[in-house]
Amino acid sequence: MWLDEVEEIFKGYLPYYILVFLPIFIIVSPANPVSAAHEFPVYRMQHYDLHGISFGSRGAAVNLEARSISAWSSSRHCIVTRFTDLTLNSFRNIRGKAGALIVQLPKTLSNFTQEEKQQLLLLENKMLYEQETSIPVYFTKYDPKFDNIVTELETNIDISNKKKSATEAMFSSIAGNGYQIVIASSNPTARTDIKIPTFHGHLAGSRPDGKVPTIAIVTHYDSFGVAPELSFGADANGSGVIVMLELIRLLSGLYSNPKTRGKYNILFILTGGGKINYQGSKKWLEDQLDSSEGSLIQEASFVMCLDTLAASDTIFMHVSKPPKEGSASSMFYKNLKSVGEDHPSVSIEGVHKKINLAEDILAWEHERYSIRRLPGFTLSTVKSHKDSWRSTILDSRENLDTNRLSRNARIIVDAIGKYVYDIPEGEKMDPDLEIDSNQIESRLKFLADQPRSQQLLSSKDNGLVTSLQNDFSKYLTDVKVTYAVPDKRDPDYQFFGNTKGTMNVYNVKPAVFDLILTLAITAYLTSVYFAINYIPALYSLCSNLIKLEKAKAK
Amino acid sequence: MTLYHFGNCVALVYVPYYLAYKHSGLSEYGAFWKCVQAGMIYMFTQLIKMMVLATFFPDNVEEFGSYLIGDFFKYTVDIADLVGLHFVLDGIPGKGHSKVLTAGIGWATAEVILSRALLLWVGARGAEFDWIYIQKCLESNILLVQHIATATLIWLRSRHNLNNNLKTVVTILLVLSCYKSLLFESLIHILKLGTWLGLVVKGAFTLAYGLFSLSIYAGMAELMGIY
Repeated sequence: MWLDEVEEIFKGYLPYYILVFLPIFIIVSPANPVSAAHEFPVYRMQHYDLHGISFGSRGAAVNLEARSISAWSSSRHCIVTRFTDLTLNSFRNIRGKAGALIVQLPKTLSNFTQEEKQQLLLLENKMLYEQETSIPVYFTKYDPKFDNIVTELETNIDISNKKKSATEAMFSSIAGNGYQIVIASSNPTARTDIKIPTFHGHLAGSRPDGKVPTIAIVTHYDSFGVAPELSFGADANGSGVIVMLELIRLLSGLYSNPKTRGKYNILFILTGGGKINYQGSKKWLEDQLDSSEGSLIQEASFVMCLDTLAASDTIFMHVSKPPKEGSASSMFYKNLKSVGEDHPSVSIEGVHKKINLAEDILAWEHERYSIRRLPGFTLSTVKSHKDSWRSTILDSRENLDTNRLSRNARIIVDAIGKYVYDIPEGEKMDPDLEIDSNQIESRLKFLADQPRSQQLLSSKDNGLVTSLQNDFSKYLTDVKVTYAVPDKRDPDYQFFGNTKGTMNVYNVKPAVFDLILTLAITAYLTSVYFAINYIPALYSLCSNLIKLEKAKAK
Repeated sequence: MTLYHFGNCVALVYVPYYLAYKHSGLSEYGAFWKCVQAGMIYMFTQLIKMMVLATFFPDNVEEFGSYLIGDFFKYTVDIADLVGLHFVLDGIPGKGHSKVLTAGIGWATAEVILSRALLLWVGARGAEFDWIYIQKCLESNILLVQHIATATLIWLRSRHNLNNNLKTVVTILLVLSCYKSLLFESLIHILKLGTWLGLVVKGAFTLAYGLFSLSIYAGMAELMGIY
């Protein structure tokens, strides 16, 4: 179609061999030498397999026309919307019928009402877990330029909209600004370099009879959210790591002095893959229990797992079996209760949930240990393992209450201290274990300022992982790293690449616009033609005028 | 935006040049090679201008104290354009219409090919739509008029039988034409005109400039007895 048009323009004006050379030039010249006026970083939705089930978005490449959430109609459209405008129903619809989805996050992730927050959490949860998504789904941070584009797309007249007048509709269909969204990306492939590191190290206690029991403290360091690059996980599970590091710092100070050495060995385990069914713990336990040499974990009095410790004012002690009276766990629970009584704003509750062996996914990390007949419990400030707060991109540093975290850390540290030093009920620890809130702040900054999704931490020499390992080595003895690697042939879990990309947004006009432009240019050129023809007349007019002047002068 | 859009732009920028060439009767004189010659001299002049700029001017115009002064010095080099056009006129035999038109059109064509072709090829063909390409094309059309008028004025200035009053006016106009872009930029900046309105202003000024040149030329032609 356009070839004819071009020919018409060129016919009579330019020689025909142009028609031969032009295509050659086009073929020879580099493909699409465009530099987009708008480029934005985008972060792809989660894309992983766990126990043979696929989660997240499967696609990555986008080259589609942008439409707002209310004006799209086919799989040739890429829907561009704000996170707050997206609803579950519209997402379900988009997932099935649209071509791609770009979601812009709000300017800040705080400042939500409780209701909005719940809605976003639910949406995020359903996006991830309801079923896999075949279209590419990307998230982008707030950018004023992109926000303008979103607004413009929203106000663009929808042709089917009856409220607008016919002229307006026609005008917009001719000259309306359109946007083409291009995200160049290869097909995401399963990553083969995944290695999930788990660290452990211990503080050795002492007793006169030489038989020293062990307690284990476990927490995972990875985070999870709808997009790996946006999962900062300040609370889940940055708070767990912070409390553990604080425990290590305080207890190692006491254990380094023979006079104040505790009566228990304390084994610290910092696991990876906590958000993918506690793969780090699983692998570590297999290694420890099945190895020929004895491991400290075998004679553990209890295993305490830490998970999401700043979400509320209630600390829940999750167990899979109610602890027997007089057992280590029940003694710890009593300690925790009595410490909790000193803080009137805090309540301590026990929650009992049986392990559901029929399900592949375990609820809490302690279940990994309970399955292997180790008494365990998880301390957490969320009541249910299904709480969306444990896997959301809203869980950022600005949404974390540091005072609450310090206070909860203090309670846990005191309870452990009481247990380790066998301090009877009603008495205070001596010396006092002082939580350093500056430490907590700086640790939080360090942990929650970079995304900690497992697939991002699994590369070699990751800065965050190395620094955590250094923290361990500084205070603990026998620090070792165990790597969990998915089985080559039948992997339990698989991560896919392309977690982020660059989105190019091109301003485009409808095809009709070009035709109209051609008409306008033709009209203009015709007027130029007549103007040029008119010049001799103008010239003679000038000559005559001058003659007249001269005649007057004479 | 697309190849089709590129075609639109090319038509918009080059067809007026073609029409000017065809309808000014130059094609009948066989002045094509003279036009090419004018283009060559244009290129040579630009080369010299660039060498002068690169050798004597700092990279950063701010070193002059302000953008305005820096730009002023930069545009001063454009006087070389006038000298170049003068050489072009010298190299063309004959007198009157054809001489002036050949120089003006040849010069303007060389400029439009060298400065716009690549821009359009890279820009207008890309996926992104921008009005700037259409604007640049229209600006080129305005430049055609301006170059022909400038060539006329240079020719007039070289005439001995031009009266002294007019000679001063012509000289002033020629010097101003060098700083034309600087003046327009400042004007548009001060009045905060949009690009489209700026284009209209440029067009209006150039038209006045052209008409003025035409009337002086008509007087001179009358004096010399050429039509």
